Amino acid sequence: MRKALNTLYQASTAMAACCLVVIASLVVLQVFGRIFDWSRTVFGLEPLGLQVPSLAEIAGFLLVGASFLALSGTLRNGDHIRVAILLQSVPKAGARILNVWAVAVALALAAFFTWNAGQLALDSIKFNETSYGVIPIPLVFPQSVMTFGLLVFSIALLDDLIMALTGKAPSFESVVKADPIEGKE
Amino acid sequence: ETKWDMPTPYGDSNFHTQNIAAFAEEVKEKTDGSLVIQIHSAGSLFKHPEIKNSVRKGLAPIGEILVSRLSNEDAVFGVDSVPFLAPSYDQAWKLYQASKPALEEKLGEQGLQLLYAVPWPPQGIYAKKEITKGDDLKGLKFRAYNTATERLAQLAGAVPTQVEVPDIPTAFSTGRVEAMITSPSTGANSKAWDFLSHYHDTQAWLPKNMVFVNKGAFDALSDDEKAAVLEAADVAEKRGWEASKVETKTQTQVLVDNGITVVQPSSELIQDLAAIGETMATEWQEEAGETGQAVLEAYKN
Amino acid sequence: MDLSLVALLLGIGMLAALATGIWVAVALFAVALAAMMVLVSAPAGPVLATTVWGASNSWDLTALPMFIWMGEILFRSRLSEDMFAGLSPWMRNLPGRLLHVNILGCGIFAAVSGSSAATTATIGRMSLPELKQRGYDERMAIGTLAGSGTLGLLIPPSIILIVYGAATEQSIARLFMAGVLPGAMLCLLFMGYVAIWALLNKDKMPAKEEVIPFIERLLATRRLFPVIGLIVGVIGSIYAGLASPTEAAAIGVMLALLLSWVSGTLSRKSFAEALMGATRTSCMIAFILAGAAFLTVAMGYTGIPRELAAWIGSLNLSPYALLIALTLFFVVLGCFLDGISVVVLTTSVILPMVEQAGLDLIWFGIYLVLVVEMSQITPPVGFNLFVLQGMTGYNIFKVARMALPFFLLMILAIVLIVTFPGLALWLPQTMLSN
Ligand code: NA
Ligand code: NA
Repeated sequence: MRKALNTLYQASTAMAACCLVVIASLVVLQVFGRIFDWSRTVFGLEPLGLQVPSLAEIAGFLLVGASFLALSGTLRNGDHIRVAILLQSVPKAGARILNVWAVAVALALAAFFTWNAGQLALDSIKFNETSYGVIPIPLVFPQSVMTFGLLVFSIALLDDLIMALTGKAPSFESVVKADPIEGKE
Repeated sequence: ETKWDMPTPYGDSNFHTQNIAAFAEEVKEKTDGSLVIQIHSAGSLFKHPEIKNSVRKGLAPIGEILVSRLSNEDAVFGVDSVPFLAPSYDQAWKLYQASKPALEEKLGEQGLQLLYAVPWPPQGIYAKKEITKGDDLKGLKFRAYNTATERLAQLAGAVPTQVEVPDIPTAFSTGRVEAMITSPSTGANSKAWDFLSHYHDTQAWLPKNMVFVNKGAFDALSDDEKAAVLEAADVAEKRGWEASKVETKTQTQVLVDNGITVVQPSSELIQDLAAIGETMATEWQEEAGETGQAVLEAYKN
Repeated sequence: MDLSLVALLLGIGMLAALATGIWVAVALFAVALAAMMVLVSAPAGPVLATTVWGASNSWDLTALPMFIWMGEILFRSRLSEDMFAGLSPWMRNLPGRLLHVNILGCGIFAAVSGSSAATTATIGRMSLPELKQRGYDERMAIGTLAGSGTLGLLIPPSIILIVYGAATEQSIARLFMAGVLPGAMLCLLFMGYVAIWALLNKDKMPAKEEVIPFIERLLATRRLFPVIGLIVGVIGSIYAGLASPTEAAAIGVMLALLLSWVSGTLSRKSFAEALMGATRTSCMIAFILAGAAFLTVAMGYTGIPRELAAWIGSLNLSPYALLIALTLFFVVLGCFLDGISVVVLTTSVILPMVEQAGLDLIWFGIYLVLVVEMSQITPPVGFNLFVLQGMTGYNIFKVARMALPFFLLMILAIVLIVTFPGLALWLPQTMLSN
């Protein structure tokens, strides 16, 4: 179970990273197309108009993937920021209660958000919503990715809530950072 | 008292937004303040791509969008952006009347009701040189932002080039784009004289903005309020069309005053462009199917 | 219920949520959700989904993760070390020495990036470890970075000026040009402050490096070439017409990978680490941005910012009094809302007042950017603070204390551009007068 969950979080975050790689590659491709066209005109040839169609929209959709698929991995690595002043100055029992409280609020919100993002995606199917540009991309695809990312985030929060309730350290507190610049207070 | 939040895409100084402000004022007066429309301009509540769906879902009861934004959804919404199909205010009005039943039907399927539509000034070609014939467009990097403008550029032998709106000045200055087709308003607002020299008054098409309501929200009004909204919409449509004509004159003058050469297109250029227009009209009709055919027949008779 | 009371309650709610350890993004969502449910008839759930969807799928925003990624790659290459080694002999006698690299680095990087978060993240990733290792006062290192990171908004290109230009139908090219001199002025103010601070706090500065003979100094400068190449490559791609400012960010990633490969620091491991680091940092910022977008819409529905701005309008103030009132208003609102949201929410109400007061709209745009910049470093909601907390582990209130002198310098900058409007207006008027 633990292994399956960890794989889920890692896979989701890895897909988010892939989205970033694809954005960078598409943009670089677009720029190379421009350079190629420009060199053709230097030799007196007609430019071919090489470009990645609907790049702006596609990159925007990939960014949604990058942002939402990484939510769980970011949480578990302790990279979502929070103000920990109170948490660090109260006794252990108090800190545990605060963690339960924070994770519970986040879980409630994430679940609510997941449900509504799902509704958004379903609605886009029902009404055939597409993007506006040269390639009409059905909005249900990027919106489903957003929903999936939120779902994995909710699962990760539930995971941590159970941890906190059973008195274990939640993932974001037990993580060892690879390269802190200043170190925690 | 009912309060309607109204998301709109353009800023307060835009003539569409000003027309909407007058419309909201009139609704308030006619209903003795029982229906108040709060305008959220410049995408401050919902951004342009989200406005239609927000109204459909009842997140906002009323809104405004550019009609042809929906053309990927159904070709009917793109009829006012077929180049050279209706290249003047009178023809654009006629085309609007011919397409209105189809438009209303498509919107009705989504629980939306059209209140009124107002055109932008006619679209002309901006470039860094004078264009006297269709051949002059060949090889030019031409701004394309949707299927229709891309096809137009292709048919003209130009190189369709994607440029986002805020990027236009930089793209022109650095040569990533060399020509675009848009209205004198957009040209004047973006101070086109900073980065290009010629405007060709081709009147290619007159894209419209429409104001529409959520049917459920409208039906929830009292009969008096409904009548007030419809009357005010009627007035707003007439006022808007006149305002659009005034806008064309003043903004074209702004272009002239700032040193842009405003070119009346040569008959050769008009001919070449009209040929492209015919191809695109045929293609549009195929895409829009029976509805499209009906619209075009109604328009041509 | 009285709207100002509601505003107060929401502000307290936000502080309480943050104090009890709720994540910043979650706190923004929660406060917005509470406001929607209590005050607004529109259904909160669909508004949430629609808003976040609209705010997250943004082409302009793609530059942010790209620049963050670029910073992560450079941080793992020897490039930042080289840059500091190359610069250090030259800055030996300038009071404040390498602290100025933060300011100048941000100033130069701002010419590529339109956002303050990207500027802070990219420069900070390279400079903070170096400054720490060389024994510089960390309060100044982090403070200068928080302050000068905001230059990303003032020096063109700038996201906020694009938003303002679109809402007010002002020329974006002119707005961009108007930001150049005030941006340079702000750089100078920051550098002046650092120099004076260094003279007064000699004990807090690290020991001076050995004097290096001129020839060796020149040879050390060679180590700057890769960085200069990177900067020239990214800025050059924009001005040569090869890339738009948004696309230039991905060019930056490509060049950084290339440099890292050439210098032999690129390995499968360093690539993966940089990419995953960038993914998580961008996710953290994107999630907060999404929360801020939802809070913006909730505020749009409740009308709180609009009503408060209208109340200022009803006071019928003189132009100077109006500017003082607006500055206070923006600073207070900017503590709780993202600065850009404040502009979006209040332009409709404020612009008529501004026009009536006879203020130039291009000038006012620059004034607004300065105010929005200040909101980036005021707690609890300030994006530079978030980026720096993510990077250093110090909480946002502590980072904000370090940034306070730079906040005050920005107020001084506002006084200066109010006194000398030509600072903003001279360049666009001279460069673009037909
Ligand atoms: Na910038
Ligand atoms: Na702030």
